[in-house]
Amino acid sequence: MAFAWKAAGLTYNRYLAVASRVVRRSLNEEKRLQAERRGEMDLRFAKWENGKQGENKSLASANEAAMAEHAGQGQSS
Amino acid sequence: MLSRAARPALRAGVAAAARPATLNATNAATYATLREIEGRLKSIRNIEKITKTMKIVASTKLNRAQRAMTESRAYGQTSNTVFEQAETKPVEGEGKKTLIVVCSSDKGLCGGIHSGMSRKTRKILLEKPNTDLVILGEKCKSQLGRSNGKNIVLSFAGIGKDVPTFADAQAIADQISLLPTDYSSIQIIYNKFINATSYEPVEIEAFSEEAIANSPNFSAFEIDDEVLSNLREYALANSLYWALAEGHACEQSARRNAMDNASKNAGDMINKFQILFNRTRQAVITGELVEIITGAAASEG
Repeated sequence: MAFAWKAAGLTYNRYLAVASRVVRRSLNEEKRLQAERRGEMDLRFAKWENGKQGENKSLASANEAAMAEHAGQGQSS
Repeated sequence: MLSRAARPALRAGVAAAARPATLNATNAATYATLREIEGRLKSIRNIEKITKTMKIVASTKLNRAQRAMTESRAYGQTSNTVFEQAETKPVEGEGKKTLIVVCSSDKGLCGGIHSGMSRKTRKILLEKPNTDLVILGEKCKSQLGRSNGKNIVLSFAGIGKDVPTFADAQAIADQISLLPTDYSSIQIIYNKFINATSYEPVEIEAFSEEAIANSPNFSAFEIDDEVLSNLREYALANSLYWALAEGHACEQSARRNAMDNASKNAGDMINKFQILFNRTRQAVITGELVEIITGAAASEG
């Protein structure tokens, strides 16, 4: 595959998020604090089935788990 | 739209104004009503203080939200230009589902902006009942969860605490693209910011890979098939960010208006009660004087 990050199971958005985090972290101290606020994400989500709300989960950890799973599939195929 | 934002506050005002009138008729000019009126006056004053403060908070937040909105427009419009140039149209696939993303927020006290969006969603659902819903924010979730719970596949919470970030939009876009169903098109419903007092729920389209690949002018761009899914994910995140930021600005301006109206209504009520209070006090004093004079006259005679 053409992209290493794709083989590792990342989506393009995740790849962008990681890249932008790296850029933000390499900024100057005072600028970094401001910029890192823009990269914060603290959402929760729930899956719904048949009109019932499922468990509330943290979005960040769920995304990571999903991508780790995806990575396994990517290597096997 | 201003009148809609003012409605709940107005209703409360009418209900409260109707109450003392009947109360006054039954036991006029007694000490109890005087104290009651005083108590009510005090509580309305407190409410006015609260709504005024909330208005000021919303005003400052609105400035930030509007700045974020103009910045986010660049994201959404740039990515839309690509599809406009390519003349992309949603595919009318048979048996394929549409996904609707509703961008509301967690917080209320901002007039009818959430219910306006829920109403629009319900209207679309009536035409196309086989549509899935992704809901951002608690408010629309509780509204649509009651009526269309079966259509909901995902709901997100924690939106609207602060100005939405692009990281938020990216994470949501990721979770949406991980959904097992293959959607022919994704529609994002959000409140479009027209000016400080008006907004309307509109939809933007986020296209599927198939739709992008089938667009008539697609050859204008040199895109490998492999990159196409990236483009789609990124475009979805862009549109979501745009919708979130614009919805956030609308919410703040709606809240500012709602709190402005509430403060105004509270001011009106304070005036009304002040007059009523003074009259009642006067009546009590007159009553007392009459009693004293009649008493004196009776003992003299």
